[in-house]
Amino acid sequence: MSNQPLSDALRAQAAEYVLGTLGLDERRAIELELGSNAALRAAVVQWEADLLPLASLAEPVQPSKQLWRRIARSAAVTPPPLPNTSFWRNLSLWRGLTGASVAMSVLLAVLLAARPDAGMGKPQYMVVLVAPQNQAPGYVVQASMGRQLSLVPLHAAPIPSDKSLQFWTKADGWRGPVSLGLVKPGQTITIPLDALPNVQPNQLFELTLEPARGSPINKPTGPIQFIGRAVKVM
Amino acid sequence: MPDNLDGFDYDAALAACAAGDQSALRRLYDQEGARLLGVARRIVRDTALAEDIVHDAFIKVWTGAGSFDPLRGAARGWLYTVTRHLALNAVRDNAREIGVDDATAAALDASASMAQWVDATDSFAWQGSAGRIAACMEQLETVRRNCLLHAYVDGLSHREIAERVDAPAGTVKSWIKRSLATLKLCLS
Repeated sequence: MSNQPLSDALRAQAAEYVLGTLGLDERRAIELELGSNAALRAAVVQWEADLLPLASLAEPVQPSKQLWRRIARSAAVTPPPLPNTSFWRNLSLWRGLTGASVAMSVLLAVLLAARPDAGMGKPQYMVVLVAPQNQAPGYVVQASMGRQLSLVPLHAAPIPSDKSLQFWTKADGWRGPVSLGLVKPGQTITIPLDALPNVQPNQLFELTLEPARGSPINKPTGPIQFIGRAVKVM
Repeated sequence: MPDNLDGFDYDAALAACAAGDQSALRRLYDQEGARLLGVARRIVRDTALAEDIVHDAFIKVWTGAGSFDPLRGAARGWLYTVTRHLALNAVRDNAREIGVDDATAAALDASASMAQWVDATDSFAWQGSAGRIAACMEQLETVRRNCLLHAYVDGLSHREIAERVDAPAGTVKSWIKRSLATLKLCLS
């Protein structure tokens, strides 16, 4: 990793790379160098930000109906790569963002909540639901062998009085998210998995903000409050 | 262009993409799809190819959302960066395949002579764009400003710009180099 100050030549190339006037070979060389040269990366990021307002000079073009369908199809067969296991990644994120003490108290809460209690058995899967904006953990989901699932709040984040929190899940290959019901802030709920298959690795869980009686179309319509994926714990 | 257009939360949408939520990708598409397609088509000058590029850009955003580092720039800017560079790589690549002369000829379509005339004044309504960049661009001589805009907005190479503004390629090259240095001073 080079932390040398940029040479004048490379500084000028960073600007022309962003402007777009480099030839293909020069472009490829810069893109290669970007991976290892932090000073070059910083120069490019700055130029990108400085020149971005000029992009509004290009008139918007309404995409064809097919374009979104193509994107959706491609996205469905290329799930976003999850670095390592999402749980440990979240842990390091929390350390960075909210400090080790918060991460420790969350871990403690998770471990306490994960102790076997009536009918639950040991959890097979655990999901930490975090706020998308700042990765702050808000809920823990546990799924046990006993074909039920519990949602445990780590704190009671208030929501507007005319809204509700709706709990959803979606495993890979499902056509869309399935509602697991409405949740009051701060409430612990246990849900039998009657109609659903067992929890799978990587299964998505989320809480969205919906109208007071829940989503009118039985699909998430409001912003995501908390989101996470299932990690096998035993 | 402000960072948070209409209060849309780009960081939250990217985080949700990273968690595999395709509806967040759709929200980004509804928010920026038409503008990104406009940016790409201006550069590649072909609607079908521009749609391919926007497709590839959204898939890149989808698969890269998890490793997106907010410290490296704003989320919204990243969408434009990804789209522009895919488009630029495509036209530079194309130029090699079909030969520079063909590409240059294609660039100089029927409207080019019109554009050349307009270039004597201002070929871009750039004053409307927000940010400090507008004030700094204003300090540049019109023809030099147009060189930068033909490069950034139209994705033209040095040679194509030279034809467009009717100046030797070497001159255009050094105009651009010096204009960028002037801009940097003005912006910092």
